[in-house]
Amino acid sequence: MGETGKEEYKIQSFDTETQKLLKTALKDPSNVDLEKVANIIVDQSLKDCLFSKEAGRICYTIIQAESKQVGQSIFRRSLLNRLQQEYKDREELRTRSLQAWICYVTFICNIFDYLRVNNMPMMALVNPVYDCLFRLAQPDSLCKEEEVDCLVLQLHRIGEQLEKMNSQRMDELFSLLRDGFLLQEGLSSLSQLLLLEIIEFRAADWKMTDAAQKYYYSEVTD
Amino acid sequence: MEGPAQAPRGEAGRAASVCAGGRCEGAEREGAPHRSRAARFGLLAARLSPQTPRAMSFRQRSPHGGGGGTKSSPQPPPRWSQGRKRGADGKRRKQNEPEPSVFDESKCAGSDSRLASFTTPEGPGPLSRCSDWGTAVEEDEMRTNVNKEIARYRRKLLINEFARERKSSSGSSDSKESTVAVELETDEVVLMRRQKQINYGKNTIAYDRYIKEVPRCHRIPGVHPRTPNKFKKYSRRSWDQQIKLWKVALHSWDPPTEEGCDLQDIRPVDLGEMETESVGSNSTESQASCQDNDDTCSGTPTKVRHIEYQAEGEFDLEVCLSEPLKDFDTVS
Repeated sequence: MGETGKEEYKIQSFDTETQKLLKTALKDPSNVDLEKVANIIVDQSLKDCLFSKEAGRICYTIIQAESKQVGQSIFRRSLLNRLQQEYKDREELRTRSLQAWICYVTFICNIFDYLRVNNMPMMALVNPVYDCLFRLAQPDSLCKEEEVDCLVLQLHRIGEQLEKMNSQRMDELFSLLRDGFLLQEGLSSLSQLLLLEIIEFRAADWKMTDAAQKYYYSEVTD
Repeated sequence: MEGPAQAPRGEAGRAASVCAGGRCEGAEREGAPHRSRAARFGLLAARLSPQTPRAMSFRQRSPHGGGGGTKSSPQPPPRWSQGRKRGADGKRRKQNEPEPSVFDESKCAGSDSRLASFTTPEGPGPLSRCSDWGTAVEEDEMRTNVNKEIARYRRKLLINEFARERKSSSGSSDSKESTVAVELETDEVVLMRRQKQINYGKNTIAYDRYIKEVPRCHRIPGVHPRTPNKFKKYSRRSWDQQIKLWKVALHSWDPPTEEGCDLQDIRPVDLGEMETESVGSNSTESQASCQDNDDTCSGTPTKVRHIEYQAEGEFDLEVCLSEPLKDFDTVS
């Protein structure tokens, strides 16, 4: 695979033996324990946010490789079921480690973004993803800038798709965000700004308008 | 993860420049909205120097009670969640009900007060709620594959009909069906069930050996097993019987450790010894393992008496085997 491969899949953070395992999974999936690989990937994504942001890509490649080589989907099944397990225990995860929780949400959203079924997003993930975002919109999460930032980032990446799959829940989520923006105590100014930006973004049909670009993202020179 | 930027990037005069009039134009387009976190925090934080009125305006410091009239902003409700029709998780709530937990206690994915199955308005149809994600996605995939196949099948029928119309109509007294009013099976539930049954049969060593040994073009109708056509209208009994016969026939290609590995004619079927079939999930089960209490694990028939079928007198074996599916064979 070489350096470009490592860079592309962001597996530099793994030890050499694991890297080897992953590389084999990518090229010759029938010869590895795919359930183990799935667990390794999920474990890492809970620790390393940089990895979880793009882990969908390596998962996608392994799934394709397995499908092509043996016509099966053991890896995908193991991955999803492990993801489901973590989802069920997400509240404990959040209590245990805010960082891991944020990584989890990033990961599951990335998976939703990347893994498709016949060019459609995975239906089974729609409500769980929404549930995670709703959790991030709770008062105790809105107080934390990292969680607000995570929420807003995921909405930027997959909000439009998610809305297509279920617009009602998106409406409800944004009701919460508006409420939070207006009334939430303990919201930092930065969090408010992030919320305002995403509210505007969705109102503009998930597009960046010139005005918003200028206001939120441009350098203000003296 | 980097922490939030501590200090606003700009100087004191920045607040003034943020307002409409005096804005400097040095706008730097950064490209995609989801830019690096550090950059975003830096830029956004730059806007929020202490002098900026923006962060403070319209913001009720005290959410409780009416009072505290700010200029012209509307009066917010006392608690942010009171008076809300829906709770934090989006579900409707009764008045004064404490905020429901977003935990789910049940072992199913999703919270417990949800329906057993749901249909999202934009979704393709009902989704069984209590399956694990792996299974749910596999079913999803099967459903979309079936939909693709039926579209393909319909095209084939149309093309075939078109081709036949071009030939002279005098000699067509063969056993081909008239395609004028062919009704296809379109019920998704039925198609999914049938597809699962087919998948069970194909997910066997016997099937693999069969297709390696006998390419489709070399098949002899009546001798070589043919996959039942799931798009045709059949009664439930008729279909299930076809599947059984097909799977029995495939056993001729079982690996040599069992009897009868060579090509044989279809032998008369003893209905009393038929294997049963429970339609479960896991169609992509590896051949070596069987998870569910499914009777028909791949390659290993379970000889269970199935009373219903014994009572069947009306089913016609010959008709079933000799059905002219030649031109419309979708998947073998």
